[in-house]
Amino acid sequence: MRRQIPLAITFIGGVVMIIQYFIPHQISQEIYRGVLDWQMIVGGFVLVLGIGSLVTHHTEKVKRQKEGWGYSLVALLGLVMMAIAGLFFGGMASDKPFMQIFIYAQNPIQATMFSLLAFFIASAAYRAFRARSFIATLLLLAAIIVMIGRVPIGAKIWSPIRVISNWLLDYPNMVAKRAIGLGVGLGMLSTALKIILGIERSYLGGGK
Amino acid sequence: MSTDIGVWIAAFLTLGILSFLYKDNPFYKVSESIFIGVSAAYWFVYMIYNVIEPNLLGNLQKGEWWYAVAGILGVMMLFRLIPKIGWLSRWAVAFMIGTGAGLNFIVYLQSNVMKQIRGTLAPLNSIGNIMMIVGVITGLIYFFFSAEHKGLLGGAAKVGIWFIMVSFGASFGYTVMARISLLIGRMHFLFSDWLGLLH
Amino acid sequence: MDTRFWTKEKCKWRRKVLPLTAFIILLALWGTIRAQSPVDTLPPSPPTEVTAFDTPNDAGKNITINWKLSTDDGAGRNIVKGYDILRSESQEGKFEVVGSVVAGISTFQDDKVKNRRNYFYKVRAKDHTSSDSPTVGPVQASGQWYHKGKTVVLIFVVIFTALVIYFVESAKKGKKLYVRPIPGMDAVDEAVGRATEMGRPILYILGLSTISDVATIASLTILGRVAKKVAEFQSKLLVPCYNPIVMTVAQEVVKNAYLDAGRPDSYDESNIWFLSSSQFAYAAGVNGIMLREKTATNFYLGMFYAESLILAETGNIAGSIQIAGTDAVTQLPFFITSCDYTLIGEEFYAASAYLSREPKLLGSIKAQDWGKAGLIALIILGGFFASFHFDTFINLFTVGH
Repeated sequence: MRRQIPLAITFIGGVVMIIQYFIPHQISQEIYRGVLDWQMIVGGFVLVLGIGSLVTHHTEKVKRQKEGWGYSLVALLGLVMMAIAGLFFGGMASDKPFMQIFIYAQNPIQATMFSLLAFFIASAAYRAFRARSFIATLLLLAAIIVMIGRVPIGAKIWSPIRVISNWLLDYPNMVAKRAIGLGVGLGMLSTALKIILGIERSYLGGGK
Repeated sequence: MSTDIGVWIAAFLTLGILSFLYKDNPFYKVSESIFIGVSAAYWFVYMIYNVIEPNLLGNLQKGEWWYAVAGILGVMMLFRLIPKIGWLSRWAVAFMIGTGAGLNFIVYLQSNVMKQIRGTLAPLNSIGNIMMIVGVITGLIYFFFSAEHKGLLGGAAKVGIWFIMVSFGASFGYTVMARISLLIGRMHFLFSDWLGLLH
Repeated sequence: MDTRFWTKEKCKWRRKVLPLTAFIILLALWGTIRAQSPVDTLPPSPPTEVTAFDTPNDAGKNITINWKLSTDDGAGRNIVKGYDILRSESQEGKFEVVGSVVAGISTFQDDKVKNRRNYFYKVRAKDHTSSDSPTVGPVQASGQWYHKGKTVVLIFVVIFTALVIYFVESAKKGKKLYVRPIPGMDAVDEAVGRATEMGRPILYILGLSTISDVATIASLTILGRVAKKVAEFQSKLLVPCYNPIVMTVAQEVVKNAYLDAGRPDSYDESNIWFLSSSQFAYAAGVNGIMLREKTATNFYLGMFYAESLILAETGNIAGSIQIAGTDAVTQLPFFITSCDYTLIGEEFYAASAYLSREPKLLGSIKAQDWGKAGLIALIILGGFFASFHFDTFINLFTVGH
C-alpha cells in the first residue's frame, strides 16, 4: 500500500494533466490553474522542512563546536533576525526592517555573487584556450568571433566580423540548439512517461 | 563617501563576496553565512505572505473548499518529521511528481518538439536553409544511443557534435559582455554609492 | 460719472469687431454647408455576409463575429470610420453596442456573453451616418471538450507512448539492447574510487529546480546509482539541496541505495540537507563546501541557471573531478568548458537508464531513438514539401490553430 497509492496518485496526476491540454473547456482550465496553485501551496509548506533541516544542520555544528561553528552561529542569527523582522515588524513593506535587510544585505550579496561570473567566464575561456582538441578549438573560435563581433571596437578593426558573428548566431548556433532541443524533448517525454506509468519509481525510495 | 549605514553594510558584504576570488577567507565566510541565514528566512516569510495567505487562506475564505486538499497535502509533507507516519508524505510527493511530469510532458512536446520541427521545415532554396536541415539531422544523429557510432552514422554524428560545439562557443561569446556589465554594476556601487569617487 | 468717453470707445470697438465676428460666422456657416454637402449625407454601404458563431476550441463564453467590409471601406467612397457590433437577446429586441473596431477590421470576439443562451448580432458601418447589416442569429456560446487544433499533438502522444510501452515490454522479455557509451557515466566508478583513495567526500548537486521538474527526477535516479557505488566503496557523499521536497526524496533515495549495497549503518541523513532556496546563496554555500571539504568529485546533474559557471569554476579551483549533465541548453557551454565530462541534453536523460542497465529503462532509450528517426524523416519530407510550397503539411506543426 505504501508504494501502490503513491504510484496511483502519480499516474492519475500525470494523465489528468496531459488530458487537460486537449480540452479547452472551462472545467479543464480550472483544473489546470488549481493544480498549479496546489503545487505552490505544497511548496510553501515544505519550506518548514527546509528551515528545519537548515537549523538542525547548523545547531549540530554549534553544539559540537565543529570546525567553523562560529559561521553556523552567524547563519542562525541571520535567519532568526530576518524571520522576526518579517513576521512581527511590519511584514514586507519597503520601509520596514525586513525589506531594509533585504535591500542592504541580501541584495548586494546576491548581485555580487552574480557578478563573480565576469571573472569565472574569463577563467573558463582561458581553460578553453588551453584545450588542444579539434572540437575545443571550434568552440573557442566561435566564442572569439562572436565576442569581438558584439563589441563596437570589433567592427572598427575588421568590419566583416559583425556579419560573421551574426551569421554564427543565426545559423550554426540556432541549428544546434534545435537538435539539442529536440533530443531533450524526446528524453524528457520518455522520462515523464516512465514516471507516469510507474516504470521509473526510484524516487519512491525503499519500503513496502 | 556615503554616510548611510545601510550602504556601508552593503559595501562590507560586497567586498566580502569579492574577496573569495583571492581565496576562501573569514570575511567571505561571514558574508556567505549571513546570506544563507537571511535568504532562508526571506523565502519563508515571502511564501507565507505571497502563497499561503492569498492562495490557500484567501481561496478558503472565498469558499473554494477544494483548496483544503492542497493544505492537507502540505501538512502531509510535514508528517515526515514524525517517523511513524512519515510514509504519508509520499502521497504529497507523488502528487507533485505526477502532475509535474504530466505538465512537463505537454509543455516540452509543444515547445521542444512541435515548435522546433515547425522551425526546421524550410524550403531547400538557400545555403542557410540546407545547412539548417543538415545540422539538425546530424545533431539528432549524435544523440542516437542504440547504435554504435561507426561508418556513416559515426560520420554524421561527428558533424553533429561540430555544430553543437560551434553553438556552445557562440553562446559563450554572446554571454561574455553581459557578465562583464554585471561586474561594472557592482564596481559602480562601490566607487559611486559608497566611496563617492565617481559621479 | 462721465460716460461719454466710454460710449465713444464702445462705438469704436463695435466698428472693429462686428465685421470680424460676421466674417467668422459666415466662414463657419460655409463650412457647415460644405460638410453637409449632398454627397456625404448618404450613409456608407452596410457590411455584408455577417456570420456569428461560437468561438471554436475555447473555454466558452465567447462568440466570434465575422463580416465582409463595407464597399465604402478602403474603396468606393472610402468614408467608413469603423464598425460597431450590436447584440440583442431577441431578433427584434433592443440591440446594444457591445464593441467597436476601426475601419479595415472584419472580425470581433464578444467575450461578454453567457453560455447556452441565444444571441443575435448585427454590424454597423459608421461615418457621420451609419448603416446596419441584416441581423444574424440565433447563436450560442459553449466551451469545447476537444481542441481540434491539437490533433497532431495527440497523434504524436499516442505514437510515442506506444513506442515506449512496446520497447519497454520487449526489453522486459529479454531482448538485448545495445547502448552506446556515455562518457561521463563510464567515469562514475573511477570518480568514486578516486574519492575513496583520497579520503575525500563526493559532492552531488541535484540542480536548482523542484520535484515537479522531470530533470530533477532523472538526477535523483542517477543519485541512487552513485550513492550505491559510494556505499560500496565506503566513501562519503554530500548532497546540499536547493528544494526541501527534493531533499526529502533524495534522503529516501540515498537511504535505499545504502540498504541495497548492504550498508544501511553507514547512511548519515545529515549529509543530505537543505542549503538555500535562493539561487546565489545556494551557489555561495556550495562554493564554501567545495573548498572547505575539498571534495574529490563533484556531480552537477539536473536543471541549472546562471550559477552553473560559478559552481563549476570553483570546483576547478578546488581541483575536483567534475561530471555535469543538464537539459538547460543555455548552461551547457559553461559546463563543457569547466567540467571533465558533460552530458549534453538527451544524454543526461539517457544516463540514468545507462547506469542502471535495467532492461525496462533501457527500452525507453530505444523508443527515443525511433522518435528521432521519425523526426528526421519528417524534417526531410517537410523540406521537400516546403520547397514545393505544399504548406498544408507544414502547418500541421503549428499547434493550436
